[in-house]
Amino acid sequence: MSLTAGFLPGLNEEDIDWQTLSFGRDKENVDVLVPILSDDQMKQLAAQVRNASQEHLKTLPVSNIISIIDTAIARFLDRQDPIRQTAEKYLPVITGYDAEMIRLGLTGYLKTFRQAELHRFLAEDFVNPKILDEFQPLPKGGYGRAYGPNVLAHIWAGNVPGLPLWSLISGLLVKAGNVGKVSSAEPLMASLFAKAISEIDPNLGECLAVVWWKGGDTAREQRILEEADTVVAYGNNDTLKQIRDRTPLTTRCLTFSHKVSFGMISKAALEPSKAWDVAHQAAYDIVRYDQQGCYSPHLFFVERGGAVSPQEFSQYVASELENFENKFPRRTLTIEEASGVAAWRQSEEMKSFAEDNNCVIGDEGGAWSVSYSEGEEKLAPSGLNRTAKVIAVSSLDDVPARIAPFRSFLQTVGIAAAPNELRRLADLLSAVGVTRISALEHMTSPEAGWHHDGRFNLLDLITMTEVERSAEIASETFANYVD
Amino acid sequence: MTEAQIIETLLDFIAADTTDDDDFNNLAMQIFEYQFENNTPYQRFCRQREKTPRTVRTWKKIPAVPINGYKDLILSCCDPESAERTFMTSGTTKGGVRGKCHHPTLSVYNASMIAAFRQRFMQGDDRLRMGILFPTPETMPNSSLAHYLWLALNEFGAEGSRYLFTDDGVDLAQLIDELERSQKTGEPYALLGASFSYVHVLDELDKLGISFHLPEGSRILDTGGFKGQSRELELNDFYEMLSNRFGVPRSKCINMYGMTELSTQFYDWGNGECPSVKSGPRWIRSQVVNPLTGEELPTGEKGVLIHCDLAHFNCVSSILTEDAGVEVENGFSLLGRAEGAEAKGCSMAVDEFLRAAQG
Repeated sequence: MSLTAGFLPGLNEEDIDWQTLSFGRDKENVDVLVPILSDDQMKQLAAQVRNASQEHLKTLPVSNIISIIDTAIARFLDRQDPIRQTAEKYLPVITGYDAEMIRLGLTGYLKTFRQAELHRFLAEDFVNPKILDEFQPLPKGGYGRAYGPNVLAHIWAGNVPGLPLWSLISGLLVKAGNVGKVSSAEPLMASLFAKAISEIDPNLGECLAVVWWKGGDTAREQRILEEADTVVAYGNNDTLKQIRDRTPLTTRCLTFSHKVSFGMISKAALEPSKAWDVAHQAAYDIVRYDQQGCYSPHLFFVERGGAVSPQEFSQYVASELENFENKFPRRTLTIEEASGVAAWRQSEEMKSFAEDNNCVIGDEGGAWSVSYSEGEEKLAPSGLNRTAKVIAVSSLDDVPARIAPFRSFLQTVGIAAAPNELRRLADLLSAVGVTRISALEHMTSPEAGWHHDGRFNLLDLITMTEVERSAEIASETFANYVD
Repeated sequence: MTEAQIIETLLDFIAADTTDDDDFNNLAMQIFEYQFENNTPYQRFCRQREKTPRTVRTWKKIPAVPINGYKDLILSCCDPESAERTFMTSGTTKGGVRGKCHHPTLSVYNASMIAAFRQRFMQGDDRLRMGILFPTPETMPNSSLAHYLWLALNEFGAEGSRYLFTDDGVDLAQLIDELERSQKTGEPYALLGASFSYVHVLDELDKLGISFHLPEGSRILDTGGFKGQSRELELNDFYEMLSNRFGVPRSKCINMYGMTELSTQFYDWGNGECPSVKSGPRWIRSQVVNPLTGEELPTGEKGVLIHCDLAHFNCVSSILTEDAGVEVENGFSLLGRAEGAEAKGCSMAVDEFLRAAQG
């Protein structure tokens, strides 16, 4: 089976070179053709997106854009729709994630982009979203209008299905023309979305392009960095640094780096009737996309003094991971990934020889492991792919001091605690740089309109034009009705 | 067995003309029992895996310690204080912590090195004039490679063999002198050193526009690869450059694969093709396993290497490396390091975190 990725409005398909990316899982294989554009084609594409964005998108009311996106998302949610069927069928083969996990994950995720949620998304960042359509009065006086970039370049990374839609939809909401570069690990979803938009509204489709190049191909990347008005890039710090260094000074470059997230469990949540549910929720956050997301937990700080001890809780989590392995088996790991897991597990075992109460629980095939520690552990990533650490602490209030040195890596904290504790911990955690606090079981599914890494998804993209009060007043002196 | 008995048995094993599978397995079991009895951290490690000398019947099932284990545990049967020599790992990972391998005597290490080096590098020659592109053991007393190269020079170096290395690195002028002399006299020459030393030499010679055509019988030994060095070369390009610059056929450019955590080294039969096939002498055996489960993989499948080196009797004989490899006929091919991969999403992986946290 062969699929075509990429979306290239204005280019003649016959003039394009294609490369095949092959994916296989179990007995299923799929080839995905990805476009390799010449420098001229890349320029032509950027120019096309720029023109379409200026002529069409900037004049389209934001409510209309929302309803077009909503129609596209409805297609992705409809299991009878060929687009949804393609995604359901091939994303598991491409990414290796369990098919049922992807199916449930897609639905849960895409629901956050329905019409009502998109309006909420706008309302999060704009007191008056009409400011994207026309000049609106400003509280300080005068008028203002918000403009999205004509060419917004997205450089995506990773294989978590659907992540590119976040920035792509953000771009559309602020009326940006978009050129997105898909990753080799998951080139399909953004391409399908662009096609769906184009089928619903061909004019809006002209404002979207999906391209590909091999990671590290700096020549092609450079072309896009130079054509873009704003760049949004995802990846590790090394990759992001070189993208930022090569982006022209006058171009805004927004970077989203890799993060570490974790959970906190209060003794209040460790009553016998509640602890199993909490462990189940914690395990669910570990299992979802095998900890590949920035919001996925690597470790859990568990408070002593509850009816269920932290060590017993670690066993509950282990048991729940075993159950999930039967329901949603972990994807097959590459030798490098397996080595990463093995190295983490071995190093945890070594530590358990040094400390009497530490121990490592894991299944024989290495499908999951939980390391329990009573030491003065600081924040550190796990071995990923369903490996997690449970750390016993005397009081959850001690945790913020332990994580404070790692401010630039922090993102989500999943908390199971009583209301007064939640409020107290929220104060402490936000002060050391945590940007999102959720319930356990929700760590990997942020709300619509969340502020990714604490930033404003839409406001960061726009530029304001202001007509100051002085201009208004001065204009009055030149009116034909002036006395 | 006592330490003295183990040493004597090993020296006999190395000196013997031939040994078979059973001989290897029997000695492996005896040494496993010795290490299990005399090394408490290793015993705990084995017990956690539910493996003891009573339950293990073949060398392939001896619990292999991850090489990082040397950084967390003292793996020595003798009192480390009483060791004749202690070799230390380079400490480039794990916050600079260096693993230690204690040797109560170097007699076994030396016997192992000499026997294999004679067969695999000397290939019938008794002595060769040698140049060493690496510091002396006096400069690097804890480097097993420094000791190895010193041993090569002492045991097999013809008159005039010498170190071509100063505190500032390779002594280029002396190197050029030596190679010109060899070209003039027709006496075969052997260059030995770390892979990255050659990269520097190749760059300098390229700048000077100097090439050599060393006499027949000349050869080159490199070891260590390029990981973590300022420049990483494709192996094929490296051996092509080496061969062209020194006029030594690629079949005489031999790569030694060894590590601090072993007392025996592997060699290839030249690098006419990359990756080359590596193999070691009778007292070391390897298997390719799935790193997570430790299960042996079928021939031809990529995994990580476990080595069982009988000569490394005082520490642990079986180690789980971070080297990716594949079993082939007559040995294995090395496929670089199987390092933990970066997350496929936006989550952070351990290696990246360590790099970032260390600034």
